[in-house]
Amino acid sequence: MAAVVVARPALRPTPRARDEEVLVWPDLVFVEFVSALLFTVALFFLSFAMNAPLLDEANANVTNDPAKAPWYLLNLQELLLHMNPALAGIIVPTVWLILLGAFPYFDQSTAGQGRWFADANSIRNTVVSFIVGFFGTLALILWNSGKVALWLKDWFGISGGGQLAFLERSAALKDPSVVPWPDWASSIPYLWFNLKILDEGPGAGVTTFQKIDLPTLLVDIGIPAGFMVGLTCLLVYALWRIGWVLSRRDALITLMSGFVGVFLMLTIIGTAFRGPGQDLIWPWDLRTLEGIPGQE
Amino acid sequence: MALEQPAQPTLGDRIYDKLFHNYLWRSIFRTGYPNTPRNQMLVVATNVFLHLHPTRIHRTHVKITHTYCLGGLTFFMFLGLTVTGILLMFYYVPSVDRAYLDIQNIQTNVQFGQLMRNMHRWMAHAMVILVFLHMLRVFYTGAYKPPREFNWVVGVVLLVLTFLLSFTGYLLPWDQLAFWAITVGTNIAGSAPVLGPKTKFWLLGGFEVGPDALIRFYTLHVIGLPLLAAIFMAVHFWRIRRDGGLARPL
Ligand code: HEM
Repeated sequence: MAAVVVARPALRPTPRARDEEVLVWPDLVFVEFVSALLFTVALFFLSFAMNAPLLDEANANVTNDPAKAPWYLLNLQELLLHMNPALAGIIVPTVWLILLGAFPYFDQSTAGQGRWFADANSIRNTVVSFIVGFFGTLALILWNSGKVALWLKDWFGISGGGQLAFLERSAALKDPSVVPWPDWASSIPYLWFNLKILDEGPGAGVTTFQKIDLPTLLVDIGIPAGFMVGLTCLLVYALWRIGWVLSRRDALITLMSGFVGVFLMLTIIGTAFRGPGQDLIWPWDLRTLEGIPGQE
Repeated sequence: MALEQPAQPTLGDRIYDKLFHNYLWRSIFRTGYPNTPRNQMLVVATNVFLHLHPTRIHRTHVKITHTYCLGGLTFFMFLGLTVTGILLMFYYVPSVDRAYLDIQNIQTNVQFGQLMRNMHRWMAHAMVILVFLHMLRVFYTGAYKPPREFNWVVGVVLLVLTFLLSFTGYLLPWDQLAFWAITVGTNIAGSAPVLGPKTKFWLLGGFEVGPDALIRFYTLHVIGLPLLAAIFMAVHFWRIRRDGGLARPL
């Protein structure tokens, strides 16, 4: 008779999940206690070393120049300088927050969770996207503030001027001497009745036509929105073409890291490099308010 | 696996016992230092402050480099801000006539007033930074993935609430910095299509920053938003437990 080989369960017991666990007391409670203590001590030191700012009493008649929002909103304030206020101040942050909330519904795979940079390409995707976002934003700001054109002129004697002025600032596209806009382009009616909620301006009567100003629409909304959406897609597309973005997770990493770069650059420029009249200046030229540079 | 044995009491334990096992102490804390695994789990499970935690967690999650304790520290800032905020409330009246003078008074006449104000201010900034970093930690560890989708959404709400808490507090000193920052900030809100002007009016209680704006921001800052944040934090922490603790590789 042939020998019967009986399959036996391995003698080594499978490791139980519990063996991998530690007790919350003392292990975790200790870590929490120490970090809380460190922060308390550090904040006490900071509070002894540096006072919270207090300027003159509020006065609606004396404008603070530059008037700046709290630092975590200065990224939005910076955006405001480059595009339509509703787009910069409301639509961009709202859309971003909705996108952010939708992340887990877009990337539903459970692979690679619970570990830092678990996916193969995640670190280089993060670094490259961050750098592109960070310096891309800087380039766009310098360009749209006319600085690039200024330097080209000062250093190389190159001047766009005239017809090419839009290369210096996108706002030049509104100028009829740059683009020969027909007269009707700046007031195209789109609503022939009076919609109350749209009718906020003083003097807007019952028969006001709601109008579109095409050049302004293009410069303040079309171009910036195109840049924001287009460049983002371009980045994801490029990383996909070179084989770095392979999954939805990778795409989100690109999006998030690019966002962090953009956010950081906008915040830095808005906080430290915007002087009176929101002109670009060096931080050390920033007007000091009672010994507090910039705002705080 | 070796059986878990209670540790023998050391000299330290004995001194500890003498000091803390008297009648008064035991009426407050029923046990001494929990030195057996069983008691250590019991203390976490039965203590009102500790019972947010599970009694055991995975080894990798106590490593500081996994969470950097960022969520916990954000919560700690919230607690610290509540304490220092309450102290500031004793002296601060949100009226245009008094607000600025009260802040000056806190800084010059109140014992430790300047310290309290500084702590409140720097903790507020720290909380904004920490919550942002916490979000990044959760993102880069892939911890938003199923089944934690909804807790990520709760997190996004908490992020917005943190910004709003800080923003509403910014007006209260009623100095030029506060006034113009809020003017700029609410102008941003006012630029929203269709709803903007109404939103701005509703936020400020008028067309510009004035007494009504101050009382609104104050009320939101000291009760409305903290209450909302506390509710969302409770959900956030509860969901962490319900979702099976922190995310780890499957
Ligand atoms: C006031 C704000 C917040 C507080 C107090 C808070 C607190 C915490 C705490 C204490 C933890 C446990 C682990 C850790 O410390 O990292 C945690 C985990 C978590 N938080 Fe937050 N959080 C806040 C905001 C956010 C935000 C803005 C997000 C995301 C947008 C978020 C998403 C999550 C998720 C998904 C987890 C589970 C992480 C995992 O399973 O590893 N939280 N939070």
